[in-house]
Order: sequence, then C-alpha cells, then structure tokens
Amino acid sequence: MQAIGHILKTQGDDIVRAIGQHIGLSLISLLIAAVIAIPLAIILMNHQRGAKVMLQITSVLQTIPSLALLGILIPIVGIGTVPSIIALVIYAVMPIFQNTYSGLTTIDPNLEEAATAFGLSRRMKLFRIELPLAMPMIISGIRIATVMIIGTATLAALIGAGGLGTYILLGIETNNNALLIIGAVLSAILALVFGAGIDWLGKLSFKKAGIVLATLVVLIGGFAGYRKLANPQTTLTVAGKLGSEPEILINMYKDLIQHDHPNIKVTTKANFGATSFLFKALQSGSVDIYPEFTGTVLESLVTGEKSASHDPAKTYQIAKTALKTQHQMAYLKPMKYQNGYDLAVTQQFAKRYHLKTVSDLVAVEDKVHAGFDPDFHQQKDGYPGLSKAYGLKFASVKTMEPSIRYKAIANGKVNLVDGYTTDPEVQEYHLVVLKDDKRFFPPYQGAPLMTEKLLTEHPELRTTLNKLAGKVTTTDMQKMNYRVSVKHEKAAVVAREYLKSHGLLD
Amino acid sequence: MIQFKNVSKQYADNLALDRLNLTIPSRDFFVLVGPSGSGKTTTLKMLNRLIEPTDGDIYFDDQRIIDYDLKQLRLQMGYVLQNIALFPNLNIQENIAIQAESLGWARKDRVARARQLLSQVDLDPDQYATRMPSELSGGEQQRVGIIRALAIKPKVVLMDEPFSALDPISRKQLQDLVLRLHRELKMTFVFVTHDMHEALRLGQHIAVMRLGHIQQVGTGDEIMQHPANDFVRGFFQNEHAPRPEVIQDLLNEGYGQSTTATATLAATAPMSELAAALQRADQVVVGTEHGARSLKTPDLLDYLATKEAD
Repeated sequence: MQAIGHILKTQGDDIVRAIGQHIGLSLISLLIAAVIAIPLAIILMNHQRGAKVMLQITSVLQTIPSLALLGILIPIVGIGTVPSIIALVIYAVMPIFQNTYSGLTTIDPNLEEAATAFGLSRRMKLFRIELPLAMPMIISGIRIATVMIIGTATLAALIGAGGLGTYILLGIETNNNALLIIGAVLSAILALVFGAGIDWLGKLSFKKAGIVLATLVVLIGGFAGYRKLANPQTTLTVAGKLGSEPEILINMYKDLIQHDHPNIKVTTKANFGATSFLFKALQSGSVDIYPEFTGTVLESLVTGEKSASHDPAKTYQIAKTALKTQHQMAYLKPMKYQNGYDLAVTQQFAKRYHLKTVSDLVAVEDKVHAGFDPDFHQQKDGYPGLSKAYGLKFASVKTMEPSIRYKAIANGKVNLVDGYTTDPEVQEYHLVVLKDDKRFFPPYQGAPLMTEKLLTEHPELRTTLNKLAGKVTTTDMQKMNYRVSVKHEKAAVVAREYLKSHGLLD
Repeated sequence: MIQFKNVSKQYADNLALDRLNLTIPSRDFFVLVGPSGSGKTTTLKMLNRLIEPTDGDIYFDDQRIIDYDLKQLRLQMGYVLQNIALFPNLNIQENIAIQAESLGWARKDRVARARQLLSQVDLDPDQYATRMPSELSGGEQQRVGIIRALAIKPKVVLMDEPFSALDPISRKQLQDLVLRLHRELKMTFVFVTHDMHEALRLGQHIAVMRLGHIQQVGTGDEIMQHPANDFVRGFFQNEHAPRPEVIQDLLNEGYGQSTTATATLAATAPMSELAAALQRADQVVVGTEHGARSLKTPDLLDYLATKEAD
C-alpha cells in the first residue's frame, strides 16, 4: 500500500495523462465501432443472408488474438494511436452489430404489422418504433463492447499508444505489484464508470442521447484536431522497449537532440513491447530512432553470422554492416556499458569462498544452487555453453521467471542467479557480479538505431548522438535503473541529471 | 363500397380463399364470421394489402386497391389488431396520434385530437393521455387500440378479432362501444370474429365463411331464419335452443365455498330454484358428487352478469 501511495504521489501527473489517453482511445474506438455497426445492422435487418455473412465475418475477426492483430497492423499503419484504434474497433463491432441486429429482428411481429398497416414511412417506423424498441439490446451491446475495449486498450501501451496498460506492462516486467495494481484497478474502475454512463445514456430519450453522443464526437474530434494543428515543427519519435533502461536512454536522446537542434521536436514513446514491434515500427517510419543492443541485432534482426564474436567492438562492426546491407539502417556508436548475461551471488557467499570471477566457481561448484531464467537455462549462450566453456556443473539448477530470481536469492532459496549486467536488483539486494574472465557471454552494447534515410535528411543527428558513444558505464546504468524502477523517480529527471553531471548538457 | 371479385389466395400447400365474391356496402357494420382456417382474416388483411391476392381484384370506391398509392390506401383504412399492439415505447396520446404524426400534424393538433378521442370512449384524458400502455388494463388498452384506428378519420375501420383476448365483461362493454361509435361516425366497419354470438350482436350484415368459401351473406335475422346449409345451421344451433341452466353450471365456474353443512338443494336443480332459495336465506348449501358447497347471493349475480356479457 505504501508503494502505491508513493507512486501515486510522485507520478500523479503521468497517471492522470495515462487515464486521459485510455479514455480517449476507448471513446473514439467505441464511437467509430457504433457508427459502423448500428447502421450496418439497420441495413441488414431485412436481409437475413447478408446479416449472417456479416455475423460470421465479425466473429472471425473477434478470434484474432489482439497481439497478432497489432503485429499485422504495424507495417500497414504504423504505431501509436491509429493501429490501436483500428484493432479496438474491429473487436467492438461484433457485440454492437450482433445486439443491434437481434434487437431489431426480434421486435413483436404484431407491432411491425401495426406500423405497416398504419402506413408509416420506413423512416418513421425505424426511428419512432424499431430503434426505440431495440434500444435496450443496443445499449447492452455497447456495454459489452465498452468493457472489452477498456480491457483490450491496455495492450495499446505495447505499441506506444499509452494508456493504463503502460503501468500494467511495466508492473509485470519489473515485478512491481504496486504499478500493476494501479494499472489494473484504474482500468477496472474506468470500465465500471463507462458502464454506468452508458446505462444513463440508455435511459435518455432518443434525441437527448443523440445530442450527448454528437457533443462527445465534436469534443474529441476538436481536441485531436487542435493537437495536430498546434504541432507544426519537425517531429522525431524516439521509442524504447519495456523497462526503465530504454526509457532513460530515450530521454537522453531527446534532451541531446532538442538541446543541439531547437527546430526539432522529439516525442518519446516508452515501454514498447517486443523487439519485432519496434523494428517494424522503425521500418514503417512511425518510429525514427530507438536504442538497440548489438547482441540482439545479431540474434533476431539480421541473418547470417549467428555465432557472435565475444569481442564487443567486433560484434558492433558485424551488426552495423549487416543492418546497413540488409535493412538500409544506420547504427551509431555504442555506449560503454554492456547489458549481457552475468552471474551474481550474495556478498556473504562471495566473501566466504573468495569468489571474484566465474572461474572461481569451479572450486565450489558442488555448493552452488542456481536459479536461472528458462531462456538462460536452455540457450547456447546461456548455461549449457557456460558450463562447457568453464567446465562447470552446479549442485542444483532451478528455472524460474526472471522477476522471481532475485527474490529467490534474497530469500536464500538459491545462492546464484543469472541476470543482466545493468539490473538494478544487483544494487537493491547487495549482490556481487562475477567477472566473465573467459569472455564467454556475448556482448550486448546499446546504440541508437535509425534508418539511413533519416540520417541523410538530418546528418546532424550523428554528431549529437555520438556524444554518448563510449559513455555510461555499467555501474552508472545500474544506479540509474535503481533510481527509476526501485525508487520510482522519473526517467526524464534521472537522464537529465546524468547528462548534466557529465558535461553533455549545460 | 368494397367489392371482392373472384379473389383467391393460394399458399404453398393450401388454398386459403377460393374465388371469393363479396360486396360490403358503405357505412355498413359488416362481420366476417367462421371457424379458424375459414379465410376470414385473410379476407380482411387483403383490404389494407397486408396480404396480396394471388388472383382476382378488390375494388374500393370503384377503383382497384392495387391502383391506390399504398400509403394513401392505408391511411383510409383504420386497423385494430387482435393483440391490441399498442407501441410500448410510446405513451397513450402518442400511440393514438401516430398516424397523425406521420402526416405531419402539428403537436398541438395531435394532442387535441388524442384527448378528444379519449373522452369519446370514456377515458379521462387528464388521467390517461400521458400514461404508458403497460399501465392500462386489457380493456382500456383495446379502447385505445380502437381510437388509434379512428384518429385520422379513415373511411373504413378494419377489426381483426379485437375482443377475443378480453374478459367477458370488458368484451361486452367494448361491443357496446363499437356499436355506438359506428352510429356516431358513419364509417364502414369490417369486423372479423369466430364468435357467432358476437357476430349477431354487432353485424348489420354477416358473411359466414368456411374453408375459404362464403357459405351465406345476410342480416342476422335472415341467417337465423333461413340458414343456407347444414354448416350454417349447426353454427347457429346454440343460439336457437338454449339449454335451461342448472346450479351445476354455476358451480363449474368455480363459485361457492366447500362446507360440511347439510345440503338443501341438488346441483341438478334449475337455477331459478337457487334464486328462490337465496331470497329466503343468506346462504344456500348445494349437494354435489364431491361434497356440499355453500352459495351466496353475490355468487349468483356475478355468474349471471358474466353470462350476459358472453
């Protein structure tokens, strides 16, 4: 509870903004879905076959997993709000269409006969009799769609549309239950409030409900339009993957670029989901720059030369050349720190057996009870390779979720874990990282990635971003990660302090 | 004047109407009567073209009804449904004025017309105009159903078994009401029923139908005196020779309380003996096969009132 209170106090503005984004995203999607689904149901109410086909189509669309749908949309429409809204609309159309259609087609045939026999026009029959009678069903369809949209909209955070999902994703990734609870509870509350609002709308007369809806459309449209018009300069979008480290880095990029080039406005989009989402976004031009690791480039973005060199400089050169030839991308110089796998033990354990390097472990291998993340346990560049390279065989090895590992070692359940070099938990739990003296782990160095086209248009970016080349040590990064993900300081503040204290910004 | 000339209606597997010829005079109260499946409702619904004939022609004021503009035709034909079918989302005055609304009458005129019609059928406008249909009893709802059909002064009012779902007392009141309205309004009423008694009570002319054919057309007296065939005669049998009523008829309707007192009358005794006994005492005990039952004066009065309404 204390943690929640702390986060609410320090990040209140961000949370309010996230709620705003979430509401905007949900309302726009809901309105578009209703504007599509209701007229469609009206058109098809007297065409049973057409309606059946339509129901099938919407049901099929419903079964596409939301993540897959987002993945499909990124190369077509890019990242951010637009693909999120498209995906949400696709999901919301079905319940609204289905309910409107059955509401309109299950009206008492006697009432239909009466309306026909009285010579009422098609229009009057629809607006005076059929739609009002179907209204409870339509409203319940909209209700279902709303709850679904608000739930699914949390995934929009994965592709940079913001919203409450940002907190849920961050919470899961960093094992921060407070963040997770804030995101989840707020979206549940939103769903309840929206549901109540829709019920209220359903009780209004036809005309009044129409006026309320029209007002909402105008307000949202006006706001969006205003924001578009108020942003006339060149805008660069700098994005980062999930977690505190990328967020700190993109804030550094932003500060440096805006400092050197006041005519360029930089927007940051933190906490993108998977690597492939970001890379696609970069290719489609909806993201301009993002920090990527040399190791990841070789592993998942380029083909050929899979067995990476263990020399960081060589790895960078291979990655840079492959990106240029295979994807026409420019990969600027990397920073100093390496964020690769490492092995960490408690201070106590290290002191007792005088452990400094991984080689030192050989002597005490029968006393080591390791907790590894499942990937590390299986991959060639993980435990299997490590054990071959150093001739190591630990007494026991358990696999566990990355976020749980550090808790396990803190609680004494295991005495050695794998980790990433810059994990803040190393500092939080007072762990000792053992030196990879045989240079087994492939190097992961972060560097700015962008298209060559962008660099040709803005060659000045090279000088600006290369200011970070060779800067930021592993300890620096660990400390900054600790401040952001454990102490919940703002990434922007932490990034700026680093730049100032190292003379990169005045 | 309405004329059917050789009108047939063929459905996939049965002939609902077979070369029907029929003339309905203007301002008549014309009743179509017959058992279910006789084609009476089909005949009625052809007038406002809810059903189209497969053969033959129907004339309304010497013009074929298919030559009328459909909306114009329907606006001249008021329609009262068996299930009443008031629109549940509209209040009473909106229901009554729905056709007026579609014709673009001003709201003030619509309200005035609805209130005038409500008074005409003894429903207080102040009390009823803005209530919802679900707040009214069945009899009250059908009163509204009737005046809804009259709102824009049609030439013809079509009524499709309008009282069959009502209780006997409401039915009698509404029969009186339509008779009065017919006298006052000088419109042609075409009324469908399966109830011979209702037909005789209401109709100036009656057409008896069976299996898509007209058996006989005439006034009530003509049909009673000179039935055209055995079917018509059988249909009227009950009207000719009413069976003398016995106390058992009343008990069959559920009147009376079980009692252990000694019976003074048998259930097979005529109703008149019960009336005589009730003049002498507050309570009379009647013996039946299933034990004794006590009857009071209100039981007899209720029973007779219901009977009369029937």
